[in-house]
Amino acid sequence: MAVTAKPATPVRLKRLEAIWKETPGFLGWLTTTDHKRIGILYFFTSLFFFGAGGVEALLMRTQLIGPNEATLSPQAFNEMMSTHGTTMIFFFVVPMSLGAFGNYLLPLMIGARDMAFPRLNALSYWIFLCAGAFLYVGVFSGNAPSAGWFNYVPLASKAYSPGPGIDFYALSLLFITVSTTTGAVNVIVTIFKLRAPGMSLNRMPLFCFAFLAVSFALIFALPALSTALILLELERLLGFHFFIPASGGAPILWQNLFWIFGHPEVYIIILPAFGIATSIIPTFVRRKMVAFPMVALAEILVAFLGFGVWAHHMFAVGLASATAIYFAAASLVIVIPSAIQLFSWITTIVTGTPRFKTPLLWIIGFIVLFIMGGLSGVTFAAIPFDQQTTDTYYVVAHFHYVIFGAAVFPLLGGMYYWFPKVTGRMYYERWGKASFWLTFVGTNITFFPMHILGLDGMPRRDYTYGPEMGWTGLNLIETLGAYLLAMGLLSVFVNLAVSLFKGEPAGNDPWEGDTLEWSTTSPPPAYNYAVIPKVSSPYAMWDKEDREEDERNLELGRKTLEQGHETPASTAVDAEWDETLEMPSHSAWPPLLALAMSGIFAMVILQQWFAAAVFVVLTALAIAGFHLKEPEEA
Amino acid sequence: MSEPPRSMEATGPGPVKEVVRERRAQPSGWWGMVLLIATEATLFACLIATYFYLRFRTSEWPLGGIEKPSVTLPLLFTGMLVLTAVPIFLSVKAAKRGAVRWAWWLLALAAVVQATYLGLQINQMVDDLHSFTPQANAYGSIYYTLITVHHAHVAVGLAIDAWLLWKLARGITNYRLIGLRAAAYYWYFVCAAAVAVTLTQLYPSL
Repeated sequence: MAVTAKPATPVRLKRLEAIWKETPGFLGWLTTTDHKRIGILYFFTSLFFFGAGGVEALLMRTQLIGPNEATLSPQAFNEMMSTHGTTMIFFFVVPMSLGAFGNYLLPLMIGARDMAFPRLNALSYWIFLCAGAFLYVGVFSGNAPSAGWFNYVPLASKAYSPGPGIDFYALSLLFITVSTTTGAVNVIVTIFKLRAPGMSLNRMPLFCFAFLAVSFALIFALPALSTALILLELERLLGFHFFIPASGGAPILWQNLFWIFGHPEVYIIILPAFGIATSIIPTFVRRKMVAFPMVALAEILVAFLGFGVWAHHMFAVGLASATAIYFAAASLVIVIPSAIQLFSWITTIVTGTPRFKTPLLWIIGFIVLFIMGGLSGVTFAAIPFDQQTTDTYYVVAHFHYVIFGAAVFPLLGGMYYWFPKVTGRMYYERWGKASFWLTFVGTNITFFPMHILGLDGMPRRDYTYGPEMGWTGLNLIETLGAYLLAMGLLSVFVNLAVSLFKGEPAGNDPWEGDTLEWSTTSPPPAYNYAVIPKVSSPYAMWDKEDREEDERNLELGRKTLEQGHETPASTAVDAEWDETLEMPSHSAWPPLLALAMSGIFAMVILQQWFAAAVFVVLTALAIAGFHLKEPEEA
Repeated sequence: MSEPPRSMEATGPGPVKEVVRERRAQPSGWWGMVLLIATEATLFACLIATYFYLRFRTSEWPLGGIEKPSVTLPLLFTGMLVLTAVPIFLSVKAAKRGAVRWAWWLLALAAVVQATYLGLQINQMVDDLHSFTPQANAYGSIYYTLITVHHAHVAVGLAIDAWLLWKLARGITNYRLIGLRAAAYYWYFVCAAAVAVTLTQLYPSL
């Protein structure tokens, strides 16, 4: 809080600091329930997985630099390709957006002091970490999955993939769905319960609408993936029959279940990025978003419509014509809410007074790449075209423009934007701009030629090609682009790492930002806000009178909630202050529970059923421990 | 403005009743349970969709000459489980009034019936296993998967019952009341899922 220290104020701040203080050192990080620290843990863990996925991508591109290369064996290439996709989607983009950005920023943006379920929040993180470790134990023990990130049967069935690689894939994903589901529940309840009094839904920042839409999509999309994974493991480990036609099963069942999850997942991946864009644009063009309600509704509509388009991933498998036409039409309809957002971003920028700082550059880059990825995406709604390009590099080009261009660029822009808030220091601006251009050019050099190669018939997932195919030149360019892209990304993180130690002090609000988080100190204190902020619009930080009232309230001890680990709970729509909640503080149970659950998964993969049962009991005990202490006993 | 109540400090029948009376929004625990139910209901929907997806790919169902399921017992058992929604509902009503003893006994009654249901269902499943196994074909696989997932939900519900009975024996607090309300929603969902699963299970005989 930007406060002028008056006699009563420092005493209050000290009292709040004492109340919200966590255990220091390593143990503190292990037992933390502070949403900001959990966000930071998510950030570094998903960054690690980003690095791993990046190395896998570079190995693949090195293999494809020329014809008949032998950097990777066919099996190793399949493993790199499968692990790269799985890592980037499940262990980088979603945890980075929902886990790191969502955790750190949501409570700050809505004026809360923590997430609705702080210990569940910690549990989400620890399960995510254990699930990722589980997948990479498989990779490093020579048991990497090799059937692609969508793991089609029958290739993924026991007959064609007899090793445990697919089991590591399936169980790690099953494990991470628990983490992501609990994370989504936490986001929704936090938004509906913990908004600062006065922040009615129409006064909530668009960033929060995007995260709300994503979380609802996750709640309904993940069970389809869980079902597919459970059925697959029952078939692989216990000899059940779901996907084998000879026993009455159906391989296409896997594809349906996977894509019922998989297509909403595309929007789950890019909607947080849209949310980040709607935070950065108003700040740097110094005006409110054009068509705010339309954008909010479009964010929700995209998440909803995303459930009706899954079979456009399956046009080549032989669907009935009526089914295919329905899914083609639905795929065209979803363009409308996406376009609403796109035109709103562009109009806001054009009608504002842009300051082309690094975060805005990333967002402009994102808009360009999203238009390109969106346009190539629309082409798949033309069924005959889709059937021609299925499983070619054209598809690889399209989804990298969408997932890397449209999802990761705003994440990188967001890292620059909120770096001063999280660390209290400024990054190097020129370096930031250079890193943007390096990455932007690298992205296009890497992925644009893939369109041409795909249209020329180069199949995806092939570990090599012959010189007679005429694909050598473009593949060479793509690989050089990939190295350039890697340099760009490396320069982003080196800039941020150096700035962490040597950057100029940032102050509370270096950008004249629009949302509440800029009103508190950089980095924010454990309790986020000394006074529960007053909110009169979605651009709370631009409402100067409200911020001045906060300062007066702090001096007078109004809305300071300094009797305990407290935060206000509000009514769901109008955000009227309904009750004051005592929030749980640090706890060792979340990591212990995640560890016990890891034991179950490890024993299942080893097929040690008795030991798995022991871990089930330990998990139950950990859940009991989790709930032993009630809030009034804290 | 004056600060609203610190509801978590309500640790006796009187204060709990007061929180219930003054509350204008559902508590976080209610939201959490509703969302859990939403995601679990989707899981059941996916499993039931899988059942019918497999069924409509073949003219013979059950596959491989497996006998059609008998109707009477599963329907009776399901009716028995669904009826436990009544004492659960009344238990929540009693707890809201602060009548913790009534709440405890009604919950205990429901738990005994639910445990009996699970025992009978497992017994029935063991009988079925003598006729056909999940490894027999796709029918056997989805049949046992569906009912085992349902049984697992009943078992989790029983664990929640046991936990709440232990907690409520020590008196009522706002926290425990929220827990009881969430558990009640969970059981309503399990009852609805039981109906859906049983009708799917009995589909070849209906």
